[in-house]
Amino acid sequence: MTNDLGFIDPTAGGARAKIALAPRPMDLAGKVIGMIDNTKEQADVILETAAEILRNRYGAAKVMIRRKEHFSRPASEALLNEMAKEVQVAAAALGG
Amino acid sequence: MAAAVDEFEFFLEKEWSDGFPVVTPTEARVRWMLAGTRRDPDEVVGHIPPAGEVATVRSVAIHALMAGCKPEYLPVVLGGIKIILREEFNMGGVQCTMHGVAPLMIVNGPYAERIGLHGGNGCFGPGFRANATIGRAIRLMLLNLGGGISGRASATVFSSPIRYTACLTENMASSPWESLAVSRGYSPQDNVITCAMAENPRLHFDDASTEPERLLTGIGDAMTAPGSWNMWFVSDMVVAMGPEHAKLCANAGLSRADVIGRLSKLAVRRQSSLKRGGNWRPERARAMGIDPDDDNAMVLAVKDPQRLHLIVAGGTGPITAVCHGWNMTSRAVHGTYDV
Repeated sequence: MTNDLGFIDPTAGGARAKIALAPRPMDLAGKVIGMIDNTKEQADVILETAAEILRNRYGAAKVMIRRKEHFSRPASEALLNEMAKEVQVAAAALGG
Repeated sequence: MAAAVDEFEFFLEKEWSDGFPVVTPTEARVRWMLAGTRRDPDEVVGHIPPAGEVATVRSVAIHALMAGCKPEYLPVVLGGIKIILREEFNMGGVQCTMHGVAPLMIVNGPYAERIGLHGGNGCFGPGFRANATIGRAIRLMLLNLGGGISGRASATVFSSPIRYTACLTENMASSPWESLAVSRGYSPQDNVITCAMAENPRLHFDDASTEPERLLTGIGDAMTAPGSWNMWFVSDMVVAMGPEHAKLCANAGLSRADVIGRLSKLAVRRQSSLKRGGNWRPERARAMGIDPDDDNAMVLAVKDPQRLHLIVAGGTGPITAVCHGWNMTSRAVHGTYDV
């Protein structure tokens, strides 16, 4: 942990693998898009409106909206796995 | 080359600090800090959210050292980080929230006294090494291992001064009551940490009341506010009563539990007042079982008296400090720690 300066890196020692970012698509035409409703008030209104634009203006094949348990809690593994299987592009979407 | 490197600048440039210089961790200094515990340095204490980097006894010691702790503070830092990582406390949520609450550590028991944790004059502020550095060690881990850095993982709008350090004990020498920990069923000899998500203390002056009802009515009013999440969520709140105010209540025959019960009823605001501004929304009122159209409905700041954490702290003077809380996804936690 000590570098050649004689100091300890306080952040070293973490064994977590770094995950590379997914490749970014150049357009959304024909893609299945996933959005997570964070449960804040009116998130559904905002996301449905955005979904309509994604379908009509950008040619998305389908927009899948799922709601997580609470905005201050991470989405569950089951929810993330379900979305990972079905969508090509996902956004953590907010209401408020 | 090493001689050319300014170690203080090095750590600040690396963003391995809270913005203040840190004690540079070297192998020798970390060995010195580890003398504060008998635990195996490689023992895993937990994973700090949201980044999830592992905290071991050694990495906790490194951060305690950086924060300026003495080795005898290490058991409190180890105990504190363990309790903060309990699922029901939802530290991960607070690491990412727009809000600015911090995990406030209230340490009770003989070990707190032995290491000089302070609960008297100025206990929320500067000048007390144990308070300043134990809380800072926790914060440095939340930054360095958890990645809860403002503008990155943390969406906090303002953050708050209480995010530099948030650790104190009660002023037991001047308290008319048992400690917070004893009120929860612990022995006075137990070393106990209670953590609740808290905003900065707001000071409530009352040098006029001569009996509890007026005093508690005023404190209760300070516990309510448009824009406070306590009004619309079942959440925690910390009230640090100055010894003068506590004695005024005790001399009138009120126990700690009596004061909690009374404050829970007096910390109330008419819905019409809350509708004038702040975070009132009809769906939030309905979620609390309140008809949004009933302007005369009374909204309690403390939905569950168990979640009002009353301590006696501070010095001589007619002041009580009120710390509003966060939301229902965090529940205050308490437990003993090993010394």
